[in-house]
Amino acid sequence: MSSSAVETESPDLVCELDNVQGMVDALTSVRWKRHQDAVLELSEHGLILIVEDTGCLQAKVYLQRELFVRYEYSATGRPRFGVSLGLFVDCLNTFCIPGHSSTIEFQYPGPDMQLLLKSTDSLSSCTYAEIRTRIPDTISWDYNFEPAGSTPISFTVKSSALKEAIDDLEWPGSSIQITMQPAPPSVTFKGEGHGDLQIDFMYYANMDLLTAFNCDQVVSHRYKYKFLRATTSNIPSSVIKDNRGSKLTIGRGGMLKVQHLVSVAKPSHSHPHVDSVGYQPPSRIAYIEFFVKPQVDEENAYDS
Amino acid sequence: MKFKAFLTDHGVNLLEKRFLPALDKMGKTCHLYLTRDHAIFLHNLLNGDGIQSIAQFQKEALFEDYRISSQNDDRIAFTIDLSLLHRALRSILTIYTEFGGSHSGDSALNRLQIKLVKKLPPHSSQPMPFLTFETKGYKSAVIQDVPISKPLSRSDVLELQSALDMAQDLPQTLVQVPDMNQLQSFVDRMKHVGDVLNVSITKYGDLHLQISTSLITLGAEFRKLKVVGEQARASPGDDNLTAQTRTRRAIDKGNAMSVQVSVKHFFKSIQCHLAKPDCAFYGIAQQGSCLTVVFQFFVPGTRQTDKSISLHCRLPVLVDSGTN
Repeated sequence: MSSSAVETESPDLVCELDNVQGMVDALTSVRWKRHQDAVLELSEHGLILIVEDTGCLQAKVYLQRELFVRYEYSATGRPRFGVSLGLFVDCLNTFCIPGHSSTIEFQYPGPDMQLLLKSTDSLSSCTYAEIRTRIPDTISWDYNFEPAGSTPISFTVKSSALKEAIDDLEWPGSSIQITMQPAPPSVTFKGEGHGDLQIDFMYYANMDLLTAFNCDQVVSHRYKYKFLRATTSNIPSSVIKDNRGSKLTIGRGGMLKVQHLVSVAKPSHSHPHVDSVGYQPPSRIAYIEFFVKPQVDEENAYDS
Repeated sequence: MKFKAFLTDHGVNLLEKRFLPALDKMGKTCHLYLTRDHAIFLHNLLNGDGIQSIAQFQKEALFEDYRISSQNDDRIAFTIDLSLLHRALRSILTIYTEFGGSHSGDSALNRLQIKLVKKLPPHSSQPMPFLTFETKGYKSAVIQDVPISKPLSRSDVLELQSALDMAQDLPQTLVQVPDMNQLQSFVDRMKHVGDVLNVSITKYGDLHLQISTSLITLGAEFRKLKVVGEQARASPGDDNLTAQTRTRRAIDKGNAMSVQVSVKHFFKSIQCHLAKPDCAFYGIAQQGSCLTVVFQFFVPGTRQTDKSISLHCRLPVLVDSGTN
């Protein structure tokens, strides 16, 4: 937390983004309920937004400085502040009018420690916002993620297939067991509740679906359905359309890490007069990470 | 009390494709007020706090062979459910267009009649008033009865007329909305953030919208818009100010007015766009009594105002608004 910015002239951060929709998509993917408090952390490397739920689920959105067309960071330390995620996303949404290119400038802090936003791409119209920030709560639970063994236990699955599988598991509900085994290499999602439903991803049978697989031991853990669902329920349609992979890693103690990639590339049709012919902007990606704590249930959870 | 007319193809198109969808957004029911020369759809003119909308058509814009008579100076008014009216019109059109509308040579063969009737509804001994549509196709004829309220009493009609007269005042300064679609999607997103919208309009041609709550201030300023009515020249230094400061200065100089309205009402007023007007103007009435939006329609293919159609809305100002 930095208070130095108040005394010095220049704010901690002034940055400019030319694809607000990409940022909205990235932040929406961690918006699993209506009222969520988020913590924004600023650094010279970019912005990190962190949300958390009942000590069992944490999500982080990494917006690296490379995504921004301008990034002027002048704080010492890593300033952090709290905002309402819903309000932040709703507010950002008003800056992306369809068929209208939008460049947006962020500044923190404002005169009253607000997060200031304004559109900068037109002289005759301007959208602006001041979002009240809070002093963030300390994060209640440490989500230190460590690999379970010498090699990380992970698999990469097409995002749409993952979402479909998790959506299908809603029916048995409550708690889902994820099992990975090396022989034959496969991942099993099993839901038990009102009935049983088991979804198998066989690595050799579905190599276009399950694009990577690393597992040298049988690992099995149970996760609360609602937390598992939060990891894919608001995944933006652009991710499903690109259908890159989502990577799932099981760490020590059964902690599940789910990673998605969200494109924040500049829409190619905007600013044809600025982009010179043939110029392709470098691929710009926001990283989304979810950490899901396993259910404590000694009978069913084990690391072999 | 008698009313009978034939809807023209142009009138059918105006109502079915444009005005009824727009007016339906203003509220489910409205008054339909028929006079010797005009048909007027009125929302919330007699009952208080909603958004008022007034869509007025010269009889020639909708009808031919227009006949009206009543003991009240040939004026008839009643309330009608717009979605029922719209449904009835759509249903009757499927039959009507079998003949290709009235362009089928002998127009007397195929016309779309609208009239006021009293009928005995099923399971009832009391005759009820209906607005009835009647037409025929190749093999079938169809009648659609839209239930309406009892016609308004003489005193109610007088009250409606005087409310209508009062609602005709135009603000001194009106600014033209640059792009209704853009404004609509903007306000549509903005309404998630708060309920009360601050609207400021300057004589320089600035329209400034702002929502301010304890957690967030979100605003948009549209500048250098076309001004109709009283205008003023902005000071050159204003360009470097923030939108908020610029507006505050304009208010201090008496060159701007500001009111608070419900975001929902404002959004509804933009939805009048469904009536496909050619331009829209916002203005604040004298003493900030309401926010007015006036839609302008051109004679097709020209830039001339079509005087036979007019549409405007008046948005009530929130009472506790007001440092200005």
